[in-house]
Amino acid sequence: MGKIWLLILLSSVGTLLFANPSAAVAAMVKGSHDAVRLAMELVALYAFWLGFFSVLERTGIANRLAKILRPAVRFLFPGSGADTQKFITLNMSANILGLGNASTPMAVRAVNSMSGDGGRASLNMIMLVVISSTSLQLLPSTVIGMRATHGSVNPSDFLIPCMIATALSTVLGITMVKLSGLFRRRKKRSKTADAPPLTPNGRAAKANSSPLPPQPRTSARAKAANSSPLPPQPRTSATASGDGRRKSGGGL
Amino acid sequence: MSAYIVPAVFIGVLLTSLFKKQDAYGAFIDGSGSAIKLMTGVFPYLLTVMTAVEVFRQSGVSGVVADFLSPAMRIFGIPKELTELILLRPLSGAGALSVLQNVFTTYGADTYIGRCASVVYGSSETVFYLSTIYFSQSDVKKLGPAVPIALTATFLGSVAGCALCRVL
Repeated sequence: MGKIWLLILLSSVGTLLFANPSAAVAAMVKGSHDAVRLAMELVALYAFWLGFFSVLERTGIANRLAKILRPAVRFLFPGSGADTQKFITLNMSANILGLGNASTPMAVRAVNSMSGDGGRASLNMIMLVVISSTSLQLLPSTVIGMRATHGSVNPSDFLIPCMIATALSTVLGITMVKLSGLFRRRKKRSKTADAPPLTPNGRAAKANSSPLPPQPRTSARAKAANSSPLPPQPRTSATASGDGRRKSGGGL
Repeated sequence: MSAYIVPAVFIGVLLTSLFKKQDAYGAFIDGSGSAIKLMTGVFPYLLTVMTAVEVFRQSGVSGVVADFLSPAMRIFGIPKELTELILLRPLSGAGALSVLQNVFTTYGADTYIGRCASVVYGSSETVFYLSTIYFSQSDVKKLGPAVPIALTATFLGSVAGCALCRVL
């Protein structure tokens, strides 16, 4: 992103330097102005939707929604904690309803509740970005409204191609993320084969043994694997067990 | 029809809170209070991206780049009039919306180009913006293949959408 930003600024300001130097700063300041105005609008929208989602959480509807969508979320975001799954569910529901601005704060919270791969985005984070980007939604209401104001006879005439395009890009995106996950795992495996084998194994063993009473731990994990949400385990241990599983899988 | 969905969901949620004797008022206050904090994290990214996009458009460089890319777009069956839209869509929602408006006034909303533009806008998202905002509060700085994958997927979706607009 940083490079693209630099490229855009350099080429644009460079062009304006020769074409119309007085417009350069004016254009950039206008962009900043627009950003402030948009931010004000977005604060209002975020406040409203975060308030609404908070009611959803308090009433337990969020959890029920998460339970309904769990198979899909589990497939797309393996090893994610219960909180993360809930935020992702809310994000996906908002996206599907066409409430893009409502889905953003939930995505931010979902990312915050995931553990990164040491400053690098984990596969689940990448999946979240890709799924939100392909914008799976039932009604692109902005476009419909704009078509109507521009005198379209049938404002929703583009919906069928649009939906097919969205579905296709979503499937393609998911496939590519899953493939890159396979690639990443293989890379990790070859790396661990090169490195002294003690490090990954030692770390994995530590992650596995850290909660002291091992009996309930394994049963909790078995329960998580069999039935459902990583239950009331504290989140840190849930992610640690996820990491441990991934790392030991890579070591084997 | 769609106008009813969100208000109906809203009423349903409020009734549930009443039924379950949960304090919806307090919950709403708790939730909305976190919006300012969220925005203070997001705002610098928002401003940085939008400043660059505005000068990109006003300098005419985006138009030049679009002209340069349009032969390549033709290979994928995308009308050359939509290149600028495809270029700006991942960068800025507002910028892309004004291009879409332009397409509608120039070519009409019901023409092939107008419908293609609708599909392109409707089936993709502001990928760059979204990916920066999502990570604005976490310590993750390297996004890996997230943006390339998202861009490729939405672009291929747009290609398919434009092809479908011919037959559907």
